[in-house]
Amino acid sequence: MARGWLSSTPFRYLPDVALADIAFEAESSSVNGLFEECALAITDIMVDPGTLRNTSERSLALESENLDRLLYDFMTELIVIKDVDSLLFGRVRVVVSPSGTSLRAVLAGEPIDRERHRLRNDVKAVTMHLFGVKHEGTSWKTTVVLDI
Amino acid sequence: MPANPAVKQVSEVCWEIPTSYKPGMNVPARIYANVKLLENMDSGVIEQATNVACLPGIVRYSYAMADAHWGYGFPIGGVAAFDPEKGVISPGGVGFDVNCGMRLIRTNLSYSEVKPKVKELVDLIFNLVPAGVGVKGSQNFAQSQMGDITSLGVRWCAENDLAWEDDPQHVEEGGYIKGADISKVSRQAISRGVNQFGTLGSGNHYLEIQVVDPARYLDRDLAGEFGIVHDDQVMVMIHCGSRGFGHQVCTDYLRTFESGMRRFEIEVRDRDLACLPFSSKEGQDYYSAMVCAANFAFVNRQIIVNKVREAFSRVFHREADALDMHLIYDVCHNVAKVETHTYDGRTAKVLVHRKGATRSFGPGHPDVPAPYRKVGQPVIIGGSMETGSYLLVGTQKAMEETFGSTAHGSGRTMSRTAARREVRGAELQKKMLDRGIYVKAATMDGLAEEAGMAYKDISEVVETMDRAGISKKVVALRPVGNIKG
Repeated sequence: MARGWLSSTPFRYLPDVALADIAFEAESSSVNGLFEECALAITDIMVDPGTLRNTSERSLALESENLDRLLYDFMTELIVIKDVDSLLFGRVRVVVSPSGTSLRAVLAGEPIDRERHRLRNDVKAVTMHLFGVKHEGTSWKTTVVLDI
Repeated sequence: MPANPAVKQVSEVCWEIPTSYKPGMNVPARIYANVKLLENMDSGVIEQATNVACLPGIVRYSYAMADAHWGYGFPIGGVAAFDPEKGVISPGGVGFDVNCGMRLIRTNLSYSEVKPKVKELVDLIFNLVPAGVGVKGSQNFAQSQMGDITSLGVRWCAENDLAWEDDPQHVEEGGYIKGADISKVSRQAISRGVNQFGTLGSGNHYLEIQVVDPARYLDRDLAGEFGIVHDDQVMVMIHCGSRGFGHQVCTDYLRTFESGMRRFEIEVRDRDLACLPFSSKEGQDYYSAMVCAANFAFVNRQIIVNKVREAFSRVFHREADALDMHLIYDVCHNVAKVETHTYDGRTAKVLVHRKGATRSFGPGHPDVPAPYRKVGQPVIIGGSMETGSYLLVGTQKAMEETFGSTAHGSGRTMSRTAARREVRGAELQKKMLDRGIYVKAATMDGLAEEAGMAYKDISEVVETMDRAGISKKVVALRPVGNIKG
């Protein structure tokens, strides 16, 4: 199974889903882990995580109407932070509330350094195409298509 | 796509799928393609074009142009016009990158003058026009200015010494679409966009130094109408859009529309076709925000043009005006606009969605700038960085057949991941240099993804639209220098 570009995380790219954009599938045994995998996938698309030093931390709190929307809003917030504050995150810890309508996250990363970071694609938006969170047995899964 | 018996040939390069193809189709679908393009078109185009045909208030046809490929909801290369009172507006019919578009600037330089300086020019422009992940532009505007900037677009630039006096009239809609309202744009969109003016972005966005390519095509009379008067004249083409601002507008309103559709009891065949009545508050709010994003993109391309003029001036030690670096034109290819059209025996306003499609207004139309009105609106169709691009002109037939719309580019045939598997960026860069094209890219992986093999043949696309009479070829342009995000 193809993994992230050079990473060993459990998300995998889906090369046949979107012609002009990038799609991935993430899976975890916990809902917190699923959110973290999606965040790391977005980072992996934008930068070689091996070149990131996770030296500064940021806390994040979000609320949304349901779990699908919460994940969508979480990923969107990472894209906003990248554009507004030029920050990329290589380490993420997420705690989703039992209701699935809020989360707290601690993100560790650093400002974009064009000399040191091996930058990749610029992620501009999360699409709704094929999107949704599935809970099957002990597994939490999602498919995400990102506009590049 | 495999031969589909439902697809009937209407003319040499026009095919129709009747309303009987799918329950709920309000109009037929029409595809512009030659046989080869049709055979190689992904089957998602038919599926999506016929889904669009089911939307409320659509008029005449759901169109797919010769470069069409699968998109989100609407196909890329899709055009659909709606009755403004009874019809819908759909962010999926515009695209995330609102007013992604093309701008073409001429120079009075010949290739023989530019060739020894291409590397210097490209390297300098690469420094002046940031591209890639998280870049910020050098033009610092305040958030408090965003209302004026996104209302007046290039006209605001001209009033603030950021554009030449004749720049606005050489941009679609005179440099700004009316109807912007910054209060309908989120704080997040404003924050994302305010520092991105003058940046190229990434993906398939580029800035290219090009040369007239008479061996491929040149209509000297028509080209002369646009100030192209030498067989080796150098041009600059820019392809980019509304950056994070436009993407966030689309993101915000897709959310609004999803919940609004339940209230209006609208059901669509594809979630990505989220839409609401254009006359609804949400529909009007999205339109106002989308117009802000469209005007943002016009300004973004204007700031980039200023940097390009600066670069040429520094390298050639002459003022940009002395180099005749005037705009030929600027076109949107992701937008929804209220336009007046004559169809089915009446003249009326319609809301035209063009998603990966270009306006192609014909001679005499009042919206074509006065200097071009006798010949028609310039249409800029960009190809891959290996194959070159075209300048065309709009036609009366486009007004009669496609609500004044034509194709926008080559259209992808291969995913980014697949292209990266086939091509190594560094090897491609060297191969292009051997062919006389100096490419500077923000990332080598991004370069590989944009290899020519990942796109349709631009000449086939352009030839098809020319044979359809929808847009007429003026000149082919070949790349000699390219900057990719």
